[in-house]
Amino acid sequence: MIKIVWVVLLLFVINSFSQNKQILYNLTSVPQSLLTNPGSDFKYDWYIGVPLLSGISANVGSSGFSAYDLFASNGVDFNVKLRNVVFSTTREDKLAINEQVEILNGGFKIAGEQNDTYVSFGMYQEFDALSYIPKDLAILALKGNDEYVGKVFNLGDLSAKAEMLSVFHLGFHKNINEKFILGLRGKIYSSIYNATSTNNSGYIYTISSNTGVYEQKIYSQLQINTSGIAKYDDKGYEADVVKDITKRALLGGNLGLGFDAGFTYYPEKNVQITASIIDVGFIRHTKEVESLSLRGVYEYKGVVPKFNPGESIENAYEELKGAIPLDTLYANYTTWRPTKFNTSIQFSFDEDRSEDCDCFNYNSEKIYKSGVGAQLFAMTTPRTPFIAFTTYYRRKIFNALQMKATYTLDSYSYKNIGLGLSSNLGPVNFYVLADNLLEYTDLTKANSLSFQFGFNVIFKNSK
Amino acid sequence: MKSRKSHRFLGTAILLLFSFSCASDLDLDQVNDLKLEPVVVANLAYFNIEAKDFVSSGTGELELIEETTSDIFNDSFFRRRIKKVEILFELENTINRAYIVDLLFFDINGNVIHNTNLNMQPYTGIENKVAKTEVFQDANLDILKQTTKIVFKLRMLAGTSLSPSSPGGLKFRSGVTAYIVVE
Repeated sequence: MIKIVWVVLLLFVINSFSQNKQILYNLTSVPQSLLTNPGSDFKYDWYIGVPLLSGISANVGSSGFSAYDLFASNGVDFNVKLRNVVFSTTREDKLAINEQVEILNGGFKIAGEQNDTYVSFGMYQEFDALSYIPKDLAILALKGNDEYVGKVFNLGDLSAKAEMLSVFHLGFHKNINEKFILGLRGKIYSSIYNATSTNNSGYIYTISSNTGVYEQKIYSQLQINTSGIAKYDDKGYEADVVKDITKRALLGGNLGLGFDAGFTYYPEKNVQITASIIDVGFIRHTKEVESLSLRGVYEYKGVVPKFNPGESIENAYEELKGAIPLDTLYANYTTWRPTKFNTSIQFSFDEDRSEDCDCFNYNSEKIYKSGVGAQLFAMTTPRTPFIAFTTYYRRKIFNALQMKATYTLDSYSYKNIGLGLSSNLGPVNFYVLADNLLEYTDLTKANSLSFQFGFNVIFKNSK
Repeated sequence: MKSRKSHRFLGTAILLLFSFSCASDLDLDQVNDLKLEPVVVANLAYFNIEAKDFVSSGTGELELIEETTSDIFNDSFFRRRIKKVEILFELENTINRAYIVDLLFFDINGNVIHNTNLNMQPYTGIENKVAKTEVFQDANLDILKQTTKIVFKLRMLAGTSLSPSSPGGLKFRSGVTAYIVVE
């Protein structure tokens, strides 16, 4: 039991990474796969997710270190562990969290003369946070510059963002012809709060000098933009956080627009190609915005008395604070959603000839018992895109039970094995997906974990 | 029948996953032990005066006094967190005259609470440099924390007259090494 509590805590508290849903993608017995590809080959009369339980997903990821490295209860001083983590990571290592809970998800079919149109709609809440390791700033804070005379500390190492938002979506997909399914989804984003500090640059250096003891320069272009947070800093403000979040979640927050698009194509009956692009969209922050900036350049010389010919500096510390002031700004800003790209190719085999096969159309999950395939995932980040490559094996164990096993290579891990199971008991669909199964031997040492489960009610005719 | 079988399969799979899973003991409270101990180096002051700038004084003694504000050590952040400070003072003279440099540390009430003194011999062609390091720690450190003003007093003692073409210069530089502890 304690283990399960730990698992849940790890998955929901530390929570997430890459937003790569490699197991869910193209697992068309689960309606939520439509959110990873609006052009999924998923056919239904109607379906509805069990409110709040239809889709709960969490990803935790950290490249370069694990929770164990920092928080192991092993008698080693925390500061020693922290220094080891800082010195063993690079500025490209990152910590990411993504969590989604579906509040509402449903769909229905509009019968057409030639091809039916499948409509899907819903609302989900999402929390998304990403921070690169601010390595140089961490070294400066831990060790100072004494041992680093000659090193240029990069202030651009600071790159982080966090956002909570709700998403309203409406999508449809239909067979353009027998072999080709196209899907589109429109999205309205309502940001509950946002904090973004991803466009930072600048440096600090100390080098030996012949004039003073050191030559020291700070060039700073640091800024953090926030929306929906500032008023909680105000001590006189009595926060009703629940009311604020509810209001902002229901289109009362900073709004944005986006779309998803995708397709499924069967060049042969046993060959399937899919691709999707998710969250091409932006949020315009105009309400409750507040930004803090530290911008400027200063060469710190110390005090230079007036009898020195040339310049004199009477109060070096005041000059420094004046040259790089901490400013508060109230300008609107725009953030772009992390855009995700998926593509896959699958070869199916082992044709299902059982009597209760509900085989129809081209859907390879229905006609064939087995399939192997490969998927590519890419996501925009403030720096280089995150890329993951997955190979998988899909198997219909019984008519009512689908299994997908995955092996994924990405910057977090090269031994990520995942497993997804989806079962249908009458119209009730239950699915559970988990990756990095090898890490379950000790979850605290895992670099990334994702977990997803949900309940749906699906009605479909069996032509 | 088959769906019951599939549910048993699914249940067993989930059970297996959690049965084989394990988690080492973590202690998140360790965050409270966080202790940053940066050692920061920076200039405190410098000046560099050439021989020709002393020409007007002839052969007599000359005294120059400059007041500078120095409130970095009594900034609230540093005042609470600085544990030790080392200050290096270095004076190099390549002018054929003797000098005395005094640094007088004043508190907010105008009292001299510390005094550093460097004596320089006239330059005779061989390296002519004095350096000393003062360590401020414990009670001594309070002197720095109370300092709001440093007065530089530069005295050129009587000696050979200097001309606009006299070679050499007087070079002073001072650097700080501050040991900070943030917990």
